[in-house]
Amino acid sequence: MQPEMQRRSFLSLTAAAAVLPAQAALKAATRAPGPRIDFRRSDAAPGAFPAKWICGSSSLMDNIDPPLQVHWYNAHTAILRQNKAYSYEAPFAPLYFGNDRVLLLDEGFTQLRTDWDLRGTVDDCIESWCGRNGSNPADMELLVAFSHLHADHYAGTNQFADRPNTRYMGLTHEEMLGFWGMTNFPEQRVTLDLGGREILIWGSPGHVVSECAFYDSYTHILFTGDMFYRGRCYISFWQPWFDSMQRLIDFVDAHPVSHVMGCHVEISSTGEDYPYGITWQPDEAPVQMTVDDLRHAFEVAKTIKEPGIYFTGKVFLCNQSRGTTTIDRNPYRY
Amino acid sequence: MPISNAPSLIPYNPNLNGNPASATGSAYPNGNPALGYNRPGVRNTDSAVPLHASGPVVHDYASDGPAPGNLALRWIYGSNVAAKNRDPRIQVIQYNEDSFILRQNVCTHWEAPFSYLLFGNERALLIDTGATASARHYPLRETVDAIMTRWGQARRRPNLPLTVALTSGEDIAQNQGLVQFADRPGTTLQPKPLEVMKRFHKLSAWPAGTGKIDLGGRVVEVVPTPGTHKDGISLYDPYTGFLFTGDFFYPGKIQISNDKDFVDSLERLIEFRDGHPVKWVMGGHIEMMFVPGKAYPRFATYKPYERLLQMDPALLDEGLTYARAVAGKSLMLIRPNFILLNDVSPDQRTTVWPESVPNIDPPRPF
Repeated sequence: MQPEMQRRSFLSLTAAAAVLPAQAALKAATRAPGPRIDFRRSDAAPGAFPAKWICGSSSLMDNIDPPLQVHWYNAHTAILRQNKAYSYEAPFAPLYFGNDRVLLLDEGFTQLRTDWDLRGTVDDCIESWCGRNGSNPADMELLVAFSHLHADHYAGTNQFADRPNTRYMGLTHEEMLGFWGMTNFPEQRVTLDLGGREILIWGSPGHVVSECAFYDSYTHILFTGDMFYRGRCYISFWQPWFDSMQRLIDFVDAHPVSHVMGCHVEISSTGEDYPYGITWQPDEAPVQMTVDDLRHAFEVAKTIKEPGIYFTGKVFLCNQSRGTTTIDRNPYRY
Repeated sequence: MPISNAPSLIPYNPNLNGNPASATGSAYPNGNPALGYNRPGVRNTDSAVPLHASGPVVHDYASDGPAPGNLALRWIYGSNVAAKNRDPRIQVIQYNEDSFILRQNVCTHWEAPFSYLLFGNERALLIDTGATASARHYPLRETVDAIMTRWGQARRRPNLPLTVALTSGEDIAQNQGLVQFADRPGTTLQPKPLEVMKRFHKLSAWPAGTGKIDLGGRVVEVVPTPGTHKDGISLYDPYTGFLFTGDFFYPGKIQISNDKDFVDSLERLIEFRDGHPVKWVMGGHIEMMFVPGKAYPRFATYKPYERLLQMDPALLDEGLTYARAVAGKSLMLIRPNFILLNDVSPDQRTTVWPESVPNIDPPRPF
């Protein structure tokens, strides 16, 4: 059992960055000598999303796509997506690499390693990254975290239970806060240092109470989880969500953001709603959105006074509407 | 050891020969081995086929009550991880020697529709064709051909003509497999457009009146039942006593497309039921769970707690009562064996739980 302060030792808190030194310095000394990557840049590190993600199939038992699509956004950033034939939620999960640590955000909606080998895929990614960058995979600490406390984002966590040099987030609100070292949720913004690459993390409740937003200072990707994504943003708690949106707007006012990225895609490229649970989205819209999309959604949100489903042109804002009630109609009505 | 055809002197023994309280209500669920085939006055045939027929077998489909059959099974129910499903693409159940029930694997299409294949002396009838057009994913024609070939060999009736009927021509959960039969020789396809379909079944007084499909000794009746689809029909097979209702009435979330038509059709169907011995109402899907009033959501590919397919014909009365209750309203109404959705989203949920229905949480597989 590690004491509390040691558990947080990978964090350099914005307020008091006092805890880091001892163990990390020791580790740095024993680490195999390799050129440390300099993640500091004045602009966003370039990267690209795929033109089309793997998006299910009409017949699921005939799906021969990998359970997990791995897309390297750039040399130090992978984005994973679960196959729709393995879970209709098909969440996206970024994998951020630093010199010392790897951050996995979200673990999909399927538990068993025999059903989908999330851990093996992440191991492969780490191995290939280390091969490219001359470091030892065993030295890389893996942080297994989730964007928010919903099963379609943490179901695969147990696959990492016995993985060496790994920390994973407990499945409670308190453990989530403790993992990030937050004492003043949701306002407090903490900085996670992956080893030269900083991830800014702060609370963004609204879809669910236990949710965070993540900003990667290297690629400038703002990862907004299920609180804001291209699909049906189920807003369970309006005022906290609205406040979280305000925090996001304040953040993008002060920081350069290359892409706003959520956990799912539930809309076609023409803006049509893919109903909840569907397992084939042949014409789905890209996962990434722009800062303007975020600002526009916030402007629309300012006009919302009643529960209901509102379309901003990019996303559906489902204000306190029931989880599986969509705008879908009976096509045979006459 | 030679097999004697003489009536056995061994008295009936329920431990050896079957349970008198069996689902078929028969003392000999698998047939009394002491009796010959199709003796005079036979109620129905447990074994219609002579071992070595020299010519086309003529089967007597007349019976005093519904012909027995076996449906004591659990349907294949998909997989938690649909991509890993390795079940057959079509589950084929031989209900009795001349009646087959086919179900599409839920991991090839979430609608998992049922199709029915009925044989008569002169013709076979396929009711509904599934939700997938691709023969590679859903080899319906191949399966039907195989069943018909084997049946034809046993009856000495090769190249039996086939009629393909649809409980609704517009329902994409039931009409997709039709294309697989497009070039099949000796095959009559029910046309899809409503007006042409009416002529095909000679339903000039639509929605009143009934049509007939004569399979040779087995005359299937066609009852117009618009309401969930404007071209909806139900079919009644007097041999098994099955009323095939497709989307119109089934253990699931019944999406009413026109409430007036739905009520009118239910009234006509009940009138029809009262004039004909109906054993079970056989729908086109199952969405209800094995606990009352709970249903699987759309797109579910893992349904381990499904309700049975067959419905008691008395449920039509309950359906009519509550169809009248939802008529004219935007409402979701839960009943133990079905759910009515009128003018609401197919994913609609409700907090209104019906009185006097036990509210049981089904086990969650996840």
